[in-house]
Amino acid sequence: MTLRLGSAAKKLAVYLILMLICMVIFIPLLITLFASFKTAVEIGSEFALKLPASFDFGNYQVVLDKGKFLQGFGNSMFLVAVSVVINAVLGTTTAYAINRFDFRLKKVILGLFVAGMIMPGMITEISRFTIIKNLGLYNTIWAPIVIYAATNLVQLYIYTQFINGIPKDLDESAMLDGCSYFKVFNKMIFPLLLPATATLAIIKAVDVMNDMYVPYLYMPSSSLRTLTTTLMYFSSSKFGSWDYLSSAIILVMLPTLVIYLVFSKYIFKGIVAGAVKS
Amino acid sequence: MRTISMQKNLLLFSFLLIPVLLLLMFVLYPLFELIRISFTDWNGVDAQQTYVGFDNYVKMFTDSSDVWLSLRNNGIYFIFHLIMIPLELAIAVVLDSKIRASKFFKTIIFMPYIINGVAISYMFAFFYSPINGGLNGILEVLGLESLIQNWLTDESIVNLSLVFVSIWRFSGFHIILFLAGLQSIPQDQFEAAKIDGANSIQNFWYIIVPGVKKVLEVLLFLNVVGALQVFDIPYIMTQGGPGHASSTFTLYTLETAFKFNSFGMASAMGITMLILIIVLNGVQNKLFNLKGVGEE
Repeated sequence: MTLRLGSAAKKLAVYLILMLICMVIFIPLLITLFASFKTAVEIGSEFALKLPASFDFGNYQVVLDKGKFLQGFGNSMFLVAVSVVINAVLGTTTAYAINRFDFRLKKVILGLFVAGMIMPGMITEISRFTIIKNLGLYNTIWAPIVIYAATNLVQLYIYTQFINGIPKDLDESAMLDGCSYFKVFNKMIFPLLLPATATLAIIKAVDVMNDMYVPYLYMPSSSLRTLTTTLMYFSSSKFGSWDYLSSAIILVMLPTLVIYLVFSKYIFKGIVAGAVKS
Repeated sequence: MRTISMQKNLLLFSFLLIPVLLLLMFVLYPLFELIRISFTDWNGVDAQQTYVGFDNYVKMFTDSSDVWLSLRNNGIYFIFHLIMIPLELAIAVVLDSKIRASKFFKTIIFMPYIINGVAISYMFAFFYSPINGGLNGILEVLGLESLIQNWLTDESIVNLSLVFVSIWRFSGFHIILFLAGLQSIPQDQFEAAKIDGANSIQNFWYIIVPGVKKVLEVLLFLNVVGALQVFDIPYIMTQGGPGHASSTFTLYTLETAFKFNSFGMASAMGITMLILIIVLNGVQNKLFNLKGVGEE
């Protein structure tokens, strides 16, 4: 649609407002970025938005040496990789079964999925905690993995929408050619869903990397810390002064920011599809 | 030889078994457990769970004022995000109009939503910090020393400081959703309006607002859920302090469970939150009369 912005003054006002919003977004980020290159003394004495005297990576060196951020990055990447694969397999198979077949209990199963989707995650954590403990998953990397897999309902919904867009005639003609249902899924549905899978994988990766709550609650062990929980422990360590901490903050922000800038088109698509799910 | 129907059953069984099991174990069973535990005095450790009826529910609202304080704080997040919604729609309309560099602005505005929430919280803790903090430094340079505050330790403004972080983080997301809604409005509606001589205010009320109704509905729902579940921002930045001044209902619930080992009470609070979400969302939909109009 086009909204006619008549006068030049109006146009100018619009740009000013947009610039102002960008400034509000960038100022705290820039302050942190600049501080990450400054010494504690410089942070104490200089104006926060003053460029650092030099882009010295000394703070980053200390953070990487003492903070175990590489280990955190490794754990986060492992969680991302496993979750993305599980997600692609469970999401496509479940969506195929639900969208293409009628069966007894279908309504019940659909109802279960909808109920799970509406329920806000955090409140069930109190009772979920005991279940995870009793299963012996507490303080293992599998705790977040099963939780992410079980609470993946929004993505499942998006898959169902995508699969709905694949004409059923295709399935039927493949069946007439002698394909089994499994073959139809493997040779046709799964490949046709790959673009959706790519979008959802990116969204999932960002979600998993940014999640604080599940790893914090279920994986207290220091060797299992993710990028996010590593930052939490680092901030309360003796290196938690602003010079080191701002470098740590920037380090933790970087991976998802890079993903965002590279894949922003997919991210917009996936986020919008996920939110407007009614 | 396998028949088609056997094949179908085999497929359904193998494709649905794991997701349904996962859902039952980690989503639905916890919900029923939560309801059951909420009627006991369980401490989360011992095997012993005594049935106490509605005691937890009664105690929650009568024993301490912290619950009410926390709920009031959730209310602050709710109201400010609500106030932001028309502004967010306005920005989306501007971004959707033919302005130069709209893609650039769109990318920037959405960016905070993608950034790690914990990192954002620490970043703003630094920004608000009374010693060497960026915000007070900027106020000083602008000659606005009188506005310098203890942003995170002054009881009367700590919640506003935290709400700002929440707005900084989530507004871009709302704007992008509105944009998607705007782009789904058929172009010919605007052309028809143009022929009828409609002005831009009429366009806004009669085409844009109905056009984004669905997004609005989603956002209002997300706002209820989001405002009631605010957790990481206060937890990282203030631990709910000073005192309980910036505590939220979720933070208080989790503290009750994992810090004070009152799992029974915490479960009652969890159920209360679920009920609040359902009730508030229902009231909101009634107020905005969204369902009725949406069915046209």
